[in-house]
Amino acid sequence: MEARNIDVKSEISCQHLYKSFPGMDGNVTEVLKDVNLSVAKNEFLVILGPGQCGKTTLLNIMAGLDSSDSGEILLNDVPVSGPNPNLGLVFQRMALMPWKTVMGNVSMGLKFRGVSKKEREEKARYFINLVGLSGFEKSYPYQLSGGMKQRVGIARAYCSDPEVLLMDEPFGALDAQTRYMMEEEILRIWEKAKRTVVFVTNNIEEAIYLGDRIVLLSRCPATVKAVYPIDLARPRQFTDSRFLEVRQKIADNTDLAL
Amino acid sequence: MATRIVAAPGKIRSKNNSLVWLSAASLVVFFIIWYGLVESGIISKALLSPPAEVLTTFISKFSNRAPDGATLGAHFKTSLTLALTGYITAVVVGAPLGLLMGWYKKVDSIVKPIFEVIRPIPPIAWIPLAILWFGIGLPAKAFIIWLSAFVPSVINSYAGIKLTEPVLINMSRTFGATNWETFLRVGVPSALAMVFTGLRLSLSSAWMTLVAAELLAATEGLGYMIQMGRTLARPDVIIVGMLTIGLTGAAMAFILERFEGKLAPWRRS
Amino acid sequence: MNAKASPAEIFSRFLPLTSLLLIIIVWQFAATGGYFGKSLPSPVAVVNQFVDMLAEPVGKTILGGHIWASMRRVLTAFAVAVLIGIPMGLLMGWNKKAEAIIKPIFEIFRPIPPIAWIPLAILWFGIEETPKVFICFIGAFIPAVMNAYTGIRFTDPLLLDAARSQGANLRQLFKEVAVPSALPAIFAGLQNGLSLCWMCVLAAEMVGAEEGVGYLILRGMDMSNPAMIITGMLIIGAVGALIAVGLRYVERWVCPWKREISM
Ligand SMILES: Nc1ncnc2c1ncn2[C@@H]1O[C@H](COP(=O)(O)OP(=O)(O)O)[C@@H](O)[C@H]1O
Ligand SMILES: [Mg+2]
Repeated sequence: MEARNIDVKSEISCQHLYKSFPGMDGNVTEVLKDVNLSVAKNEFLVILGPGQCGKTTLLNIMAGLDSSDSGEILLNDVPVSGPNPNLGLVFQRMALMPWKTVMGNVSMGLKFRGVSKKEREEKARYFINLVGLSGFEKSYPYQLSGGMKQRVGIARAYCSDPEVLLMDEPFGALDAQTRYMMEEEILRIWEKAKRTVVFVTNNIEEAIYLGDRIVLLSRCPATVKAVYPIDLARPRQFTDSRFLEVRQKIADNTDLAL
Repeated sequence: MATRIVAAPGKIRSKNNSLVWLSAASLVVFFIIWYGLVESGIISKALLSPPAEVLTTFISKFSNRAPDGATLGAHFKTSLTLALTGYITAVVVGAPLGLLMGWYKKVDSIVKPIFEVIRPIPPIAWIPLAILWFGIGLPAKAFIIWLSAFVPSVINSYAGIKLTEPVLINMSRTFGATNWETFLRVGVPSALAMVFTGLRLSLSSAWMTLVAAELLAATEGLGYMIQMGRTLARPDVIIVGMLTIGLTGAAMAFILERFEGKLAPWRRS
Repeated sequence: MNAKASPAEIFSRFLPLTSLLLIIIVWQFAATGGYFGKSLPSPVAVVNQFVDMLAEPVGKTILGGHIWASMRRVLTAFAVAVLIGIPMGLLMGWNKKAEAIIKPIFEIFRPIPPIAWIPLAILWFGIEETPKVFICFIGAFIPAVMNAYTGIRFTDPLLLDAARSQGANLRQLFKEVAVPSALPAIFAGLQNGLSLCWMCVLAAEMVGAEEGVGYLILRGMDMSNPAMIITGMLIIGAVGALIAVGLRYVERWVCPWKREISM
């Protein structure tokens, strides 16, 4: 396999995004209100926000799965108008196909694009290996633990070779122990296969541990409240005094229950 | 600054509206085809009556005894009384039996083997034996309908209470409830959804079995009416009977569903 | 558990068998005691009747022939119902326009029990094979359509999103997501349809036939031979149970991702 650390990657930005949903009783819920952000090439950007604030809505719009009421998403200065092979999405609730094996799930994007079976399996195997699941190619999702399922989700997003990876609380459903491990893992994978990453979380430690930069969202309707560059060297330590300093600074500015 | 465009709810409504029109058009076309097939002679009137004739027959059968010996109302009353009597007595015995079977291991191991033998036999297969035992009258039909409603109501209550969350049972025990109290306050409520599934299945099973029983051995009732319609080569009578059977079944299912909503309001998701 | 089970445990393990045995014994005594006259045959008489029918024809054919006659009707009707019903249900569940067109007409027919079609079927097709196959067809068709329809309508939107984000087009969404996710529901419909089919063939055969299991039990009634009826009933139950088990194996083979769900 060729080296996967290609230098030139994409940047993605959101410009004046608005989104609201019609409620049951006729009035509308405003979910996104003038959201602006831009992500640099190969940057690991974390979006931090409280539950139900509109993070999933934002990410779905960025991935082209949903449309905004106004404003636009620019991927390398081109507006995003629908699902795009250059945008890989990792879902909060895994969203693996129960009837597909690990191999089938990881290679499905290539199958949709008509890549031959041999080629797509070779490529999928590389990413299955990268996320540490070699040997489980033939397993079905129900046979995997939560952490393993999300590894499949990550491999699947990688396998279509997107320039930007969008991750929606990928570790939200995991137990604390597995979560720490997966946080280390995602950095390891990212270092080996650099992409532009937008990582959504509601966990402040996770955000500081992972991000090059943190975008803090307000409660619903979500707006960008603040942006924090994190210039701590990796691997970061949760107990490091500078880590705790940053944590305090962000915590003072959030409505997150801490 | 970009202006906001809120998705207009009117747009969604107009799309739904066009689907409703499509449905209406589809029904109209259906009736026109039916009418056309019969009136043009492609299908003989001896085999299928045109829609208008079915409607006239339906209306006239409210008061007219011809050609099958009773008014639609009389047939309807006979069938409904029989079906409901069989159904209600069956579920009153069946549902509690199923619950007890699922809760008490001893009852389970005694009753279940017999049940497993009887269960795969369709209630209709009991008709000859019932006629041989009870003769062609009411008791034979009542027995078959009872049986047809009994089996699903037992099975579903049984399966329902078996699925009770062990955590809830343990919780109840730690609060010092006796087995019987736990059965009543934890087992039964949590099985209620499945019990109702059983009641629905029992109802449709009883209604279908009733038709079969009346086809084979009856002198009145909706099943008898459609059978007479065939003997007299009157497709309009058959179709009126079939539609009445269908409508009644649907109406009973609807009422039961309403009743369920009242009795187990927490089930709505 | 250790090897030494207490007597109570042994007793409860054999309770099901004991109870079945007990029933047979009680049945035997009740039958031979003459409380019910000739209307209740003994278990021994039923077994004898069964053995007789294996070789001696009832009407046109022996027991195996009757079973095959019914099976042939059921399988023909079932195959046709599945081939038409599942695509139709899938189409209805996937395409809103198709749903708007088909559903209202389907809803007129849906609540009519298949058995209520018997008189019309006889009027239309006479009393040969066609009306029987037709009735069975109706029995299997309605659940086949309904389950394919609801199965595909309840496809998890999250999975559709996941496939869309992986670049699936509409056709691929249907083939790779909607249909597989509807498969368990479709199989439930097939189970249902097959057992309804089996019931319908009985009813149709009882109304008028010269061979088949329905004919067999009705013949038993005409001959006032309860042993023949009960033998027939037990066979009907056994065949019904067997085809259900068979279909479950097919399902396990087609849907290997489904975790075992015990009875
Ligand atoms: N399809 C939808 N229809 C109506 N309301 C929605 C829809 N999707 C999300 N919402 C509402 O938008 C808000 C934000 O949801 P979400 O983006 O899932 O938040 P988060 O991911 O931050 O927890 C919630 O209040 C939710 O109820
Ligand atoms: Mg979310």
